[in-house]
Amino acid sequence: MKKTGFVYDQKYLEHITFEGHPESHYRLLAILEGLQENGLMEILQQISAAPADKRWIEAVHNIKYIIKFEDACLMGLPDFEHQDNSICRDTYDIALLAAGGVMKAIDAVMSKEVDNAFCAVRPPGHHAETDKAMGFCYFNNVAVGARYLQKQWGIKKVGIIDFDVHHGNGTQQIFENDDTVFYYSIHEHPSFAYPGTGREFEKGLANGEGYTLNTPILPGRGDMDYRKKLTTDMIPAIKKFEPEFMLVSAGFDAHASDLMSGINLSREGYKFVSETIMNLANKYSQGRVISVLEGGYNLEVLPDLVADHIKIMAEV
Amino acid sequence: MFVSESMKTDLITIGPDAKLSAAKKLMQEKNIRHLPVVNDKGKLVGIVTDRDMRDAQPSSLLPKEDYDRTYKKVMSHTVEEIMTREPLTISVFFTMQDTLLVMQQKKVGALPVIDEEGYLQGILSTRDLLRSFVSIMGIGEPGTLLCIMAQEKQGQMKKIVDIITEENVSLGSVLVAKSWDVEKRAVFPYLLTNNVVKIKEKLMQQGFELFDPMTWYLDQLEKKGDTLL
Repeated sequence: MKKTGFVYDQKYLEHITFEGHPESHYRLLAILEGLQENGLMEILQQISAAPADKRWIEAVHNIKYIIKFEDACLMGLPDFEHQDNSICRDTYDIALLAAGGVMKAIDAVMSKEVDNAFCAVRPPGHHAETDKAMGFCYFNNVAVGARYLQKQWGIKKVGIIDFDVHHGNGTQQIFENDDTVFYYSIHEHPSFAYPGTGREFEKGLANGEGYTLNTPILPGRGDMDYRKKLTTDMIPAIKKFEPEFMLVSAGFDAHASDLMSGINLSREGYKFVSETIMNLANKYSQGRVISVLEGGYNLEVLPDLVADHIKIMAEV
Repeated sequence: MFVSESMKTDLITIGPDAKLSAAKKLMQEKNIRHLPVVNDKGKLVGIVTDRDMRDAQPSSLLPKEDYDRTYKKVMSHTVEEIMTREPLTISVFFTMQDTLLVMQQKKVGALPVIDEEGYLQGILSTRDLLRSFVSIMGIGEPGTLLCIMAQEKQGQMKKIVDIITEENVSLGSVLVAKSWDVEKRAVFPYLLTNNVVKIKEKLMQQGFELFDPMTWYLDQLEKKGDTLL
């Protein structure tokens, strides 16, 4: 059994999106309830979040963008840069707390208080680019985490694995010129799914060429394709890169009953994904892995998928 | 949708009396494969392609001495001698669809665009056409493609658009394809959003079938096989 940390804060519920928006606070409530029912809360080590210092956000995002986002929230605008990106007055502070939560988890793993950690944060982050909010994301939590690992903890090579059903265009854009952060994403094919990036031929630019890898999956496909592609694409790539630390963008919207996508992953398929990632982390990163919540919108299946994922992390 | 919006207007042209050496240099420097030939009044009189240039050049299999001698001779000829006279042209009022069909049927890689008096206004190559279709399909912008099977009857498209409008979502484009089932049509709206759950639910409530393109493709193959048998 492993000591697994759990980042959560009541404040994450206070990022209120418009009525009927899929990225609602009910997602976290459902996850918490699921963890309690599964008896996981007792075994998880609680890590309290703190707002990220702005300089860490600036390590990833353009300062003008950060100010623009803060202004939009303070002015009480209904959304930021696109109507998908529903905001309230507190969204800016909560977004700082989400990125800060990931940083706290990093501190806990690096100082060996825990072996690994799951961050039940929102708003999510992987669509957020250097200077653009997209797909319900404002600050790229995982990207801030990667920079924090490098600058604060001296980790040289960070591996990011993104299994949200949508391509993490933000994370890709932030690191596409960088050979110190490897980004792997498996997602629904961009011709069908948001945001329309993450094609097989997007492999990074300049210095970063070869440090981005994308596996698009056609709608209607599921477990079989994921098993095959993770084995042929992800495993050799991580083996070659040998990350010292792994960050995971954990999206649970590829499940067959999540209408957000056309991918039909089963609960078993998701377990395979989690197991494969943890095996890689054990092998190459001394088990150091932090998984950060991204998407997952069907409240019927989300709690079980997260519970399964955490069980695999904690080896229970 | 008109070619005038997508064509290149910063034109690189050459006169009919220019030497082939000049034409070759120009095409290499500017990295272009089609060089419109205009007279001193600016009227289009022909076009030279990289293929015309290659046809005029000596064979690369010749011994070097022979090659160099012939090459020098060839390059002193004029553009007028090898250009395609009265090339296929299109007017500024051609739509992109017209152009697509012309290019497909006539198998040309670029079309000079002329006005009513025959003056050259622009040139449109397959590369420009590609760029324009990326924009028409809306795939340069983030969004989600829905795959809907609708009955082939009036009012279906309105229903779909109404549902999308009710959810306040912008449409990037809509493609409609025939289905193997003559009573159905496949409709592919490209929605400029990530937020598609509500729309999908409403479509299903109203009796539309959402399908996987892969399954659809395989079904089509099957039906094709049936008719062959």
